Amino acid sequence: MGKEKKGGMRERFGRQWDSFVLPLLFIGLVIIFSILSPAFRTAFNLISSLRFTSFIAIGAIGMAFCIMNGDFDISVGSMLALVAVLGSSLLPAIGGVPAVLFTVVVSSFLGFVNGVFITKLRIPAFITTLGMMFIYRSLAYIYTNNTPVYIENKFWLFLGNGNVLGIPFAIVLMLLCYGVAWLLLRKSPFGRYVVAVGTNREAALLSGINVDRVKITVFTLVGLFVGIASVVISANLGSANPGMLGQGYEFQVITAVVLGGTVLGGGNGNLWGAFFASMVITYLKNGLGLKQVDSYWQFVAIGLVLIFAVSMNRIKFTVLGQREV
Amino acid sequence: MIKFLKLYEKIGIFIFLVAGSIFLSIASPHFLQSDTILNIIAQGTYGAIVGFGMTLAITLGGFDLSVDAVMALTSVFLSILIPLIGIPLAIFISLIVACFVGLINGLIITKLRVNPLITTLAMMTIIRGVALIVAGGRQIVIHEKVFMEVGTGKLLGVPNPIYIMVVLFVIFYFILYHTPFGRHISAVGSNESAARISGLKVDLIKIFVFVLVSFTAGVAGTIRTSQTLIGIPTMSPGFVLVAITVTILGGTSLSGGRGNLWGTLFAGIFISMIYYGLNLIGVQIFYQMLSVGIVLILALFIDGIRGRYLETLKAKGIKV
Repeated sequence: MGKEKKGGMRERFGRQWDSFVLPLLFIGLVIIFSILSPAFRTAFNLISSLRFTSFIAIGAIGMAFCIMNGDFDISVGSMLALVAVLGSSLLPAIGGVPAVLFTVVVSSFLGFVNGVFITKLRIPAFITTLGMMFIYRSLAYIYTNNTPVYIENKFWLFLGNGNVLGIPFAIVLMLLCYGVAWLLLRKSPFGRYVVAVGTNREAALLSGINVDRVKITVFTLVGLFVGIASVVISANLGSANPGMLGQGYEFQVITAVVLGGTVLGGGNGNLWGAFFASMVITYLKNGLGLKQVDSYWQFVAIGLVLIFAVSMNRIKFTVLGQREV
Repeated sequence: MIKFLKLYEKIGIFIFLVAGSIFLSIASPHFLQSDTILNIIAQGTYGAIVGFGMTLAITLGGFDLSVDAVMALTSVFLSILIPLIGIPLAIFISLIVACFVGLINGLIITKLRVNPLITTLAMMTIIRGVALIVAGGRQIVIHEKVFMEVGTGKLLGVPNPIYIMVVLFVIFYFILYHTPFGRHISAVGSNESAARISGLKVDLIKIFVFVLVSFTAGVAGTIRTSQTLIGIPTMSPGFVLVAITVTILGGTSLSGGRGNLWGTLFAGIFISMIYYGLNLIGVQIFYQMLSVGIVLILALFIDGIRGRYLETLKAKGIKV
């Protein structure tokens, strides 16, 4: 009896974990930096950091699907740079709305290509996307001849800088994306297929799920959200730089998803966790930056956060006796 | 067909190498000169040297993405230490630092049970950050001209890096194919739980392999630094792609268990040959990265098709 009770407690602990640890971590972070830095605690900074959160958080949606599905995609940073330079260079010719649509469609297509390579040739996703990471980046260099594309189109810029009723539009867009993604994950058969394939590929295959199609769709989704993020980020910067844009993006996005409680190796995940983790990462970077900490230390900090997050997930599962939460 | 596939796995890279040589000797009148050929081989040494380490890692069923950051860290340490303690000791300590990074990688992977890809992805960023912090974000010029001998000197007309590569090749060949440790690496790569049950010290083997990978990265970093005489904290971004491409192109199986060091050696030279060919056409440096990426995808493509073919044979009940 006693043992059962203990198991129950463990289980409850595991369930509570994701829902309270990250918000607590976030609040703690905000309090610490607010005490340390007067510049941090201004309303302006706190809101604009929320805008920066959307950069990571939007990309994290696709990656969350991907990791739940048991893979990951490290080409997202280069993909982001490539589609940003492609889309923004077309702005003068075709105008704002078509260029944005073009960007999103092209990035979805690139994700689709990744998916086809991975499923049809059965190459591990990681190594395919590693190759693609360099191919996309060099295509971005070659296309622009290593010169940044400056963006002057009002519509495109609005997506990254504009406000709707005083709220940054990027935040509205991010919440919209999360809403759609949540519906897709929790209220559609597709979401259940993703989790099923990630949990046990063989079982999913035997129960008649078209595993390849699910995987290709997942990678297309990764591309789709990277496309949206690329418009928002390049709009915020006012230019698309083939070398600088999206450098280390894959890393931040994977960190957000894993810190958010989605376990590497697939299975059920946590979309809102990814959102809160994006906030943690962004405010951490922002706080360190305002405290004049060398940007190099930020690399180190986020790297440590990633390792911490992965081992924490591991420990959580060990505590739970390897059981699904 | 099965025989052909097995043969391809062993010597496929030779086909590429010979085809490349024929193409280049037609395209360039300077290709068939001993200087040019030695130069191409010397340029291929970095890829091959780090490839040796990566071959062990992939045979083990892991990856190491942190190699380019380790190269940069070695470079920075060399440039700081050489004026202080002299060249031999500086090289020694820098290599120890490189090995230490590998030790941390191994400890995180085995003791915290973090996926090797994620560990080394995080370590890539961390070590790159550390290199930048140690160097203060600057490039550090080395004034000891003697140090240049390591990477650019020649012995009997052959560049020094080639000797270093050959020595490392012999050592790694011996380790992988002629020691119990090498067989244990393959065993862990083929079936980790089986290896664990049969009493192998899996954790120790893994840690040691990751130390060796970082060691090879340290050696490659040392050669590069000596050629430029500058400690560069941002050295060779994306070099990990070359190292992994060389390993897979050389015929080391991605699923682990089977490493092909000869293949790695020649794939390193083949990549260097591609660079030479691209220089002949006179294209920009970005095309080098593009070509390596395409070669990697191509190698994976062939690997994938081969895997599928063998699978269908197995399904038909033919012994492979």
